[in-house]
Amino acid sequence: MRFNRLGALAAAGSLLATSVVALAAGPSASAASPTKITFAYDFPGPDFELTPLVVAQDQGFFKAAGLQVSVVFPPNTSTTTKMLATGSAGIGFLTTTDMGVAVDVGVPVLSVANYSMRNNWALFAKPGTKLTAANLKSALKGKKIFSYGDTWTEAMLPFVLKKAGLSTSQVKIITDPTGNDLTDLLAGKVDFSTSTTNYEIPGFQGSGQKGQLTQLLGTAAGAPDIPIWVYAVTKSYANAHGANVKAFLTAVKKATAWAAKNPTKAAAEFTKAYPKSGYTPAYNQAGWKLTIPFLTNTHGQYFTQTSAQWSTLSKALKSIKLISKVQSPSTYFTNKFLP
Amino acid sequence: MSGARDSGVARPVKSFTYRSVAGPGRETSRRSGKWRAVARNVGIPILSMALLVLTWEWIVVGFHIAPYIAPRPMQAYEAVRSDWVTLWPLVLATIRETIYGYSSGALLGVFLGVVMAKVQFLQRMVYPVLVLSQAVPIIALAAPLVLILGFSVVPIVIIVAWIVFFPVTVNVLDGLSHVDQDLLNLARVYGASRWRTFVQIEIPATTTPLFSGLKIGATYAVTGAIIGELVASNGSSLALYQEHANSNLNTPAVYGTTILMTIIGISWFLLVVGAEVLATPWQRRSVARRPWRRRREAALTTAQVEN
Repeated sequence: MRFNRLGALAAAGSLLATSVVALAAGPSASAASPTKITFAYDFPGPDFELTPLVVAQDQGFFKAAGLQVSVVFPPNTSTTTKMLATGSAGIGFLTTTDMGVAVDVGVPVLSVANYSMRNNWALFAKPGTKLTAANLKSALKGKKIFSYGDTWTEAMLPFVLKKAGLSTSQVKIITDPTGNDLTDLLAGKVDFSTSTTNYEIPGFQGSGQKGQLTQLLGTAAGAPDIPIWVYAVTKSYANAHGANVKAFLTAVKKATAWAAKNPTKAAAEFTKAYPKSGYTPAYNQAGWKLTIPFLTNTHGQYFTQTSAQWSTLSKALKSIKLISKVQSPSTYFTNKFLP
Repeated sequence: MSGARDSGVARPVKSFTYRSVAGPGRETSRRSGKWRAVARNVGIPILSMALLVLTWEWIVVGFHIAPYIAPRPMQAYEAVRSDWVTLWPLVLATIRETIYGYSSGALLGVFLGVVMAKVQFLQRMVYPVLVLSQAVPIIALAAPLVLILGFSVVPIVIIVAWIVFFPVTVNVLDGLSHVDQDLLNLARVYGASRWRTFVQIEIPATTTPLFSGLKIGATYAVTGAIIGELVASNGSSLALYQEHANSNLNTPAVYGTTILMTIIGISWFLLVVGAEVLATPWQRRSVARRPWRRRREAALTTAQVEN
């Protein structure tokens, strides 16, 4: 009994001492510890477009910027915006169409940098299919076009149909959010698939099919040439953690440049970081290499946004009734956190 | 069976005597008891639903939750009401898929249950496969179904049937395996044929477990239809409408369609419960309700009063 009391006293004493030491060391310890940032991706699982973040982690760019970044994945592609709005994540990866829709319904999000600079969304068909801007109408009329039901495809398809002189009732849009467009295309269940070149081409290469996938870039078929993906935050996060946002973009910019210069190594780093992503190293490498050309603008700059891109986007979204009103470009973006 | 018939004939006089002694007061009390039962069976569930909606409203308003995160109940209702012209055909399509899939699944379930109960060899061979079939994630099954059958209503119906047949099979099998052996022996003693024994003893004995299986299947059938619509819709469906609303951050419409799906599911379940009530009267009263019996009661009452 006596032993137990002594033991309890000793335990209480040591607990008190630890607490005092911890309290005393608190401020200096937190000053040395990195700032934590949660980054929300736009897809339920990791893929090669995360390469810059993996490289920033592996090459120590985040550490040098005093950041500790953790990546989280949304349950579906439309939840990233909500994760930002609810504070589940500080910085997110969104499509510009998601940004446009979010701003339209009053979500206080702000794009802080472009990820890619141009539109590489395209229509794809089996090898040997004749698909050009000139024969668009005859090629698409009465055919089945696959869509994941994402806002980007929803926004781009009407432009293609308009260019072709077709209405939505003259084609069959097959929406399958859980399916695989390439599998359906190759199995002949749809006539055309829609995706971006950096995802679709490596997917086809990995399928073991012969020939070359037929593709027609959306921009050649009436779609606007605007960036697809951006880094975004909420306005309140930008106000409260502006320095962190800038530090994050600084590290990611360095990493993006490094990964563009060393694509094979960068893709290998991604594969190593996410070995269970479900993608092969070859797919990751091919995908990343196809992404690189779209990361810079005509001046060779990363990240820089323009009023024109947001103006074009919002007008395009309004014209197809995906948003209710066009707002000023500054509502959607800021370049003030760019390194 | 014959016992039930005997009591059906013998009892009316007794019950008539009892009621005539009790008089109009007893009748009033019986009516108020009926209303109490209605209030208990209908009023309480309505009250609990109302409380649920109020709690939802209170949480959204109290915590200042933005509409794009979670809308208020009225916003969800308004989202459905304002686009009802679009939604109604989609609701009908979902109901149609549920009916086709549920009926196919239930018929298949009964058939498999009966066949497996009668042929032991088949039971040993098929039962593990059936268990295995339910262990396969339905979403994994959906993709090859679409690739084989294309984007149409067929894969959706198959998915619903796939979900529904298993609880029906298991319950029918269970029911047929636990028929009162004394009744079977009695039928054999009286020289009943296998078919007559099956129809008059085994089928009635299986009704209760069968409806348990049907009710379980009913709760999952709509979920199956929605999963099917997500992967195999040929153009438009309620599930895709919800998916588009979700992509466009139209959260009130997401909640509104969720409520619609829930209503379809509950209605379907209640329909099966209703069928069960009609098909199994012995579960609520000791003798079957028969119109001729009521007429006879009325005639006896008149005769008693005159005497």
